[in-house]
Amino acid sequence: MIKKTITEQKRERVSLIILFLLALVLSNLGIPGMADSTIMPNYFIALIITLILNRLGNLNLYKLVIFGLIIDLFVGQLLGQYGFIFICISLGDYIIKKALFIKNEKQVITLISLLTLISFIALCGSSLSHGIFISPKIIFLQTILTFILCLILNFFIKKIF
Amino acid sequence: MAQKSSRSNLKLFHRGAFSLSSFYLLFIVSLIIMGVDFRHQFLKKIKSEISILTSPVAYLINLPTNIFNNSKIIFATQTSLTEKIKTLEQTNYSLSIQIQENELIKSENKILRNTLKIRRDFRIKGVIAEIILPTVKNGYSIITINKGLKHNIKDGSAVINNTGLVGQITNTFANFSEVRPITAEAYAVPAIMSNGRENVILYGNGNGELEIPLFPASSSIKINDTFMTSGVDDLYPKGLNIGKVTEINRTKSPKFNFIVITPFSQPATFSQITIVNKKND
Repeated sequence: MIKKTITEQKRERVSLIILFLLALVLSNLGIPGMADSTIMPNYFIALIITLILNRLGNLNLYKLVIFGLIIDLFVGQLLGQYGFIFICISLGDYIIKKALFIKNEKQVITLISLLTLISFIALCGSSLSHGIFISPKIIFLQTILTFILCLILNFFIKKIF
Repeated sequence: MAQKSSRSNLKLFHRGAFSLSSFYLLFIVSLIIMGVDFRHQFLKKIKSEISILTSPVAYLINLPTNIFNNSKIIFATQTSLTEKIKTLEQTNYSLSIQIQENELIKSENKILRNTLKIRRDFRIKGVIAEIILPTVKNGYSIITINKGLKHNIKDGSAVINNTGLVGQITNTFANFSEVRPITAEAYAVPAIMSNGRENVILYGNGNGELEIPLFPASSSIKINDTFMTSGVDDLYPKGLNIGKVTEINRTKSPKFNFIVITPFSQPATFSQITIVNKKND
């Protein structure tokens, strides 16, 4: 296992904070030119999927749950929901990587799509079981937009790190 | 020969930071937190407590949009302003005539109500507020206004403006409150058709419209028919404009129609609103 230097870890931590703040800003703004402002990707899910895939920010399960709780305080509808979603994403990532050997670009894209799907199933399940209604049309569009955002983020993160 | 790893040695991450037991623990903890929050609404209370910290962040987030919108107003041309004044003068003139008619109707109504011995106050008492934040929060329709607990705003109060019903207060903080617009998903409001015939419940569909999923096909309804609050829930004052019928669609059952209603007030088209005091306040 390749250990990261202190400088690299610092750079990752700063990037993580910047990305989190950016996601927070964007989640409060609609997509410019889009008539319905509720149609937007889930920036936090996209960010976490990319971070887990690229093993950035030294994220572990505890950090993910705490991260989820912070997100809940700002934009959440239910305390613990994002923590639950992030746990599901990491479990999905663990199981898939345990069963399959992810090597080329196509396999990474498939993995991203599966993780996005898992996260939105967890989001839908936890929302509906706790009386939070989500329009199926909006959730469908959000899933597609989040998947596209994940691909873009993954591309840039691979370029930077 | 490949060795089979034991269950206790399973690691969730390649770095070996956690075992499967951590996953089970956090999974159960997050489920418990969600359940407890659903029952006791802790998130609302926490959000209210930390609003001093989050409101400056929200203000900064929306600063670029606010500056852009304000600059658009500042740089409005003289011609457009003159045109606006003309239109406003015309509206003012027609309204002054309408007021005279309304005064007469009001006094007639009072006499009739006294005759019928109906004791109901129609005057709306409320707090005037302004919208400060946009209508979206991580994909959910929410309007933030500049009045909160300090201004005696309470959860569940109706929010109206000059065009009609806007929504309902869902969260109140010290200096601001969150309003759920009438078009938000799962929002329901009891309504009556302007001709006073059909009592229905209108549901928000999350796409800027309201709908009646099962409207009796035998009842007469046409495009541009208007709906207003019926007041049966004692939450919204009776007679507030809600919207007009824009679509009448058939359902699988021939006994019912699916009605789409476009609200008169769109969150993007107003800034001044009134929070109606609850009747028991």
